[in-house]
Amino acid sequence: MISKRHLEVLMHKILFLFGSVFVLSVLVFYVSRLAPGDPLVSYYGERAEKMSPEEREWAENKLGLNDSIHVQYIRWLQNAFQGDFGISYKYKMDVTEVIGGRIGNTLILGGIGFVLIFVLALALGILCAWQEDKLADRVICRIGTITSCIPEFWLSLAGILIFATALRWLPSSGAYSIGKENSLADRVWHLILPLSVVVLSHLWYYAYMIRNRLLEEVRAEYVLLARMKGLCRRQVLFGHCLRNAMPAYFSLMALSVPHVLGGTYIVETVFSYPGIGTLTYESARYQDYNLLMLLSLLTGMIVISCNMLAQAVSERIDPRLRMDDRRNYEEVDRI
Amino acid sequence: MSELLEVRNLSVSFDTPAGEIQAVRDVSFTVKAGEVLAIVGETGCGKSVLCKSILRLLPDIARIKAGRILLNGTDITDYREHDMCGLRGRVFAMVFQNPMTVLNPSLSIGVQIAEAVKIHRPGMSRQAVEQRVLELLRMVKIDHPEERSRQYPGHLSGGMRQRCVLAIALAGEPALLFADEPTTALDVTIQAQILNLFREVQAKLHMASIFVTHDLSVAAMAADRVAVMYAGRIVEIGRVEEIFRDPRHPYTWGLMRALPILSGGGRRLYSIPGMPPTLINPPKGDAFACRNEYALDIDYEKQPPLFPVTDTHFAATWLLDERAKGLAVKAPDFGWREAGEMGTRPAAKPGSSLVKQTDQPAESDIILEVQHLTHRFPLSKKETLTAVDDVSFQICKGEILGLIGESGSGKSTVARCIMNVYRPAGGEILYQGIDVCDPKAFRTHKKMLQSSRQIIFQDADASLNPRKKICDIIVEPMKLHGVKPPRGTVRAEAAFWLQRVGMDAAYLDQYPGALSGGQRQRVAIARALSMEPAFLVADEPVASLDVSMQAQMVNLFKQLQEELGFSLLFIAHDLAMVRFLCDRVGVMHRGKLVEISPVEELFHHPKQPHTRRLVESIPVPKFDWIGQERRRDR
Repeated sequence: MISKRHLEVLMHKILFLFGSVFVLSVLVFYVSRLAPGDPLVSYYGERAEKMSPEEREWAENKLGLNDSIHVQYIRWLQNAFQGDFGISYKYKMDVTEVIGGRIGNTLILGGIGFVLIFVLALALGILCAWQEDKLADRVICRIGTITSCIPEFWLSLAGILIFATALRWLPSSGAYSIGKENSLADRVWHLILPLSVVVLSHLWYYAYMIRNRLLEEVRAEYVLLARMKGLCRRQVLFGHCLRNAMPAYFSLMALSVPHVLGGTYIVETVFSYPGIGTLTYESARYQDYNLLMLLSLLTGMIVISCNMLAQAVSERIDPRLRMDDRRNYEEVDRI
Repeated sequence: MSELLEVRNLSVSFDTPAGEIQAVRDVSFTVKAGEVLAIVGETGCGKSVLCKSILRLLPDIARIKAGRILLNGTDITDYREHDMCGLRGRVFAMVFQNPMTVLNPSLSIGVQIAEAVKIHRPGMSRQAVEQRVLELLRMVKIDHPEERSRQYPGHLSGGMRQRCVLAIALAGEPALLFADEPTTALDVTIQAQILNLFREVQAKLHMASIFVTHDLSVAAMAADRVAVMYAGRIVEIGRVEEIFRDPRHPYTWGLMRALPILSGGGRRLYSIPGMPPTLINPPKGDAFACRNEYALDIDYEKQPPLFPVTDTHFAATWLLDERAKGLAVKAPDFGWREAGEMGTRPAAKPGSSLVKQTDQPAESDIILEVQHLTHRFPLSKKETLTAVDDVSFQICKGEILGLIGESGSGKSTVARCIMNVYRPAGGEILYQGIDVCDPKAFRTHKKMLQSSRQIIFQDADASLNPRKKICDIIVEPMKLHGVKPPRGTVRAEAAFWLQRVGMDAAYLDQYPGALSGGQRQRVAIARALSMEPAFLVADEPVASLDVSMQAQMVNLFKQLQEELGFSLLFIAHDLAMVRFLCDRVGVMHRGKLVEISPVEELFHHPKQPHTRRLVESIPVPKFDWIGQERRRDR
């Protein structure tokens, strides 16, 4: 059932999303252009350094780089509204095509990583809550705390050093071996190491959250009543406690998407994995302005919508958080 | 009748970092099928722990140290969790103290009851389960069971939720129902309804019950037999009429004298001096000796055994020993007869109000005048809730005005409007002639208004900052207003007020968490009084305390008011307490002030039907009547 009020709220959120993306585009556009570096290098490569001043001017004119930043921005905005985000200086292709060719790889790595984190964290959290303060719980807590302190790039390098260089079990970089683009086994083989790093470095944080959340629920008074019905411990934990803890966990996971995405970008860079993480890094480094703009906007949109999703989930759990109802609840609570 | 449950020499301890807490010590009792046993005692006497240890609901740090628990002659002491699951719900059921928190907020009532129905009857069809749920809801007298079963606990009132908890408890047709203070969190009229419901259901299902309460009058209404617990031991046990007609243990005497209805219109409530001991290192001898005015020398040395009074009545006091017979210690006169008449007939002697109520008090005597006060809360964009509806009253200097009513009747909202927490939608509040709702007048007199009016909240637990020391809590208002401490230092000031409310200055450096509920409320009073207010609002200050503590607090208010002469607006839902404290009483019902009159007049000639209902719902033990009622039920 979608009422008028719901539509209003939805419109409000969409407006907010576009507003934020606009502010983001201004920031990224100006900062990237004011940063030092020569965009011609990424277009002409080595040749750019040997150009005469006339040639340079002609080249800049061709790429539209000699106007003032404001003019450039307005031009970019006009084109963007018509769906034209310009070409990538490095790849000499439409930026949407460049990103389209890479985004699948990132979605595979990030998506599988995210689902694995979600499921494993839940399982680990439940196990720890079930075994609270027993040996298994204590050992897992200790190990978890240590792993969550290790930075991703270090873990990636250590992984490469051990499994790729020393043991030669797994490849050290890329998403597939040359000539085997369509082999599923080869792709999986290349995914193992980066995926493990993404999962390992985020897993414990969320497992610990669900563990503590569950323990809070286990101590709630309604558990006593549930036990007095004759329910056994497993039935109470899964039928009551987990059920009450899940909405909060969903909201947490929605909030965690940007977090995991950021981790994926770092891992991609270290493993030279051909995803948009590596692409973002390259485009920022070589002043590939158009590519950088679209990538930033894309990432920004994912982050903002995930935050909104998280807020929507929390609102469903706790009606007091709803913007327009908030005041009423506060007062009624006091009666 | 056969013994359904037999507990033999049960001892339960908690292992804590501070030491071993001996919560239950050497307790023995039996419950027959269909019988109601009430367990009575102050907070912290081990009543709840006793029940939960039988049901094995205690946390892991609790251990059954000694003793046996027999169910129908079978020893269940060593049953593991798995075996207990089979007994819970089917043989044992339990109703808890706080109906607000024991229901799972995210499951509908129907689902929660259905769960209890299904657990012991796997394979029951869905329709049959649904039918049974509705039948249970009807049994606990919930209107529109079909609709209610689809609602969530958040939609229901406290009394309604307690009925649902009872429905869950009854789902497995248990042989023994544990009720742990089932009416303590409810207000007086609801309490009476729930007690009646319990009696009815219990008689209908011929179910045995263990009824835990701190209120002797509730025990008298509900029980066949009564066990009085103190410091983890049963000190007296017997049939209900034996306990009430012929109590033998001084602790039972104390509990009875602390009952407000038994104070016979006297101006001071009796309260047992002191506090129950901590059970980490229980005192040698009788734990009650240090609070016992009848204590003998031997009480400090040796724990008295349970002496038989009759075949069914036992009491653990040396007063019953052969050698003490010569002392001829007699139980004090409790005045049951007068109490029994209280609710039915006007008393001969009128109350001695401090302020003689004349029709029109002199204008200079009025400290607070509330005129046509109205306050609304928005529920949604369209609906509003009128919490206070056209309320007018006056409070004179040095007067204690009681404000009573059920929860949700708008008492607290009135108090908060007076204290400028809410801005009322209509009406005037004049404090010493100043309109406190007018922002301009408020700003002009801000300092005076803030320092001379103080408030004490219901929940001292929540109203004291847990991270501040007692000393800082008490002097905080003084610091805020930059008052120069009249007794030299702020610390001396805090110590003075702490002693004034009957606490030792040694508590100055403690944190609120280290204090008991009664002590915390005393600190809250000290904090309010440190500004030497002319007008004090106390918002249900005794509601969360047990009976003997309530008596102490009411006496304290009375004494402080006499000494300091402030005006007091005392909000409560317990009429019996109000009767001892207040000069006049106002009754609120659904936001309206339905009646306001001098206290004795209100009790003996209630004008409004609502007031009459409130007065009648005070639990008054009337034994002959109870006996007849029970016989008729069976």
